[in-house]
Amino acid sequence: MEILEWVRLLVGGALLLSGLLIFLIELYGIFHLKYVLNRMHAAAMGDTLGISFSLIGLMIFSGLNFVTLKMMLIVIFLWFASPVSSHMLARLEVSTNEDLKKHCQVYEELSRLEKDLKEEKIKEEGGEEE
Amino acid sequence: MQINEKVSALDGVYQSMYIGILIILAIMLFACLIRAVRGPRIADRIVAVNMMGTMVMVMIAVLSLLLKEGFLIDICLIYALVSFLAVTVISKVYIGVYTEKQHHIQAGTKRKGEESNGNS
Repeated sequence: MEILEWVRLLVGGALLLSGLLIFLIELYGIFHLKYVLNRMHAAAMGDTLGISFSLIGLMIFSGLNFVTLKMMLIVIFLWFASPVSSHMLARLEVSTNEDLKKHCQVYEELSRLEKDLKEEKIKEEGGEEE
Repeated sequence: MQINEKVSALDGVYQSMYIGILIILAIMLFACLIRAVRGPRIADRIVAVNMMGTMVMVMIAVLSLLLKEGFLIDICLIYALVSFLAVTVISKVYIGVYTEKQHHIQAGTKRKGEESNGNS
C-alpha cells in the first residue's frame, strides 16, 4: 500500500507540473505575440488544457469523494465557457478596432479573395515551371 | 512507529509540493498582471484578466487540498462562473458603449452638414 501511495504522488505530481508547464507556455505566448487576436490563441490554451491537467492531478490526490466531482464540474464548465468568452472578446476587438486592416488582411467581398487565391496558384505553378 | 514516520514523510512531500506550486503560480500571476497593465488595447487587458482568473482557480483548488477544507472548491466553482460572466458582460457593454458613441458622432456630423447647407 505504501508503494501505491507513492505512485499516486508521482502520477498526480506529473500531471500538476504539466499543467503548470502549459500555463508557462501560455504566459510566453501572451508576451511574445504582438496582437490581441494572436494572443487570444495562446490564452485559450490555458483555459482548457492547463486547468484540466492541473485539476486532474489534484483529483488524483484527493481520491474519490465530492471534491473530485466538483473539480470535474469546474473543468467541464470551463470547456463550455472558454470558447464563448473568446468569441465575445474577438467580436469586441473586431467591432471596436478602426484600423483592423493594419493587423490582419480583411476581404470585403468573397470574389476578391478567390481572385487573389487564383493569382497565387498561378504564380506558384509558374515558379515550379521555371 | 515506522509506519507513522513514513506517512508523515509523505505528508511533508505533499505539503512542500503544494507550497512550491502556489509560489510558482503567484509569480506567474504577477507576470499576467504586468500584461494587463501594459496591454495597449482593452481586449488585451480582458484576455490577461481572464488568464489570471484561471490561475486563481488552480490556486484555490490547491489551497483547498493543502488546508483540507472541502468548501473552498465551491468557492472555486463560483469563481469560474463569475469570471465567465464578467468577461461576457464587459465585452457586451463595451461594444454597446462604442456603437452608441459612433452613432452620436455620426449624428453630430450630419447635423453640422445640414446647418452649413442651410447657411449657404
